[in-house]
Amino acid sequence: MKQHLGRQSGVDKVEVSLINGTVDITPKEDGHIDPAQLLKATYDSGVTAAELDLTVRGKIVKDGSGGLALQAAPNQTFALAPNELSNGLQSLADTPATVTVRGELYKKPPGKKKPELPTSFKLQILEVQKKE
Amino acid sequence: MKITTIALLLLLGGTVFVPALEAQVKHIEMRVEGMT
Repeated sequence: MKQHLGRQSGVDKVEVSLINGTVDITPKEDGHIDPAQLLKATYDSGVTAAELDLTVRGKIVKDGSGGLALQAAPNQTFALAPNELSNGLQSLADTPATVTVRGELYKKPPGKKKPELPTSFKLQILEVQKKE
Repeated sequence: MKITTIALLLLLGGTVFVPALEAQVKHIEMRVEGMT
């Protein structure tokens, strides 16, 4: 799985902890990394992803439906799941301010052994680390 | 004249590329099941 993930575009380093059952992925400095693609690659390698958390820096924007999204790159936007923390970022929407947040992009539904991956993901903010 | 043009190009280039470099996915952590 380490090699499989390491081959994905934008991946710099993959560290696997068999004891904790965790995989740490460090993206390349200037690379574009697609977390959804990583989830798919994990499934393809025969392992079930239980949870995917990410730390991302970007700008808060409003998406087409009026919801909030975090723009990490000109062509990469994460829709934000509404919660208290994302509501607190509402005032930064469409401003030049950047935020660094840690959030949960995927969590396996309980009870299912190997569920199908959703077609779209929403980032649930767990922590706002920095506002600039 | 040339210096003004070059300075303007550098300024515009900076405004286009700097935000793209600053904003990005910093780290990903996955919890997995069935790993041997």
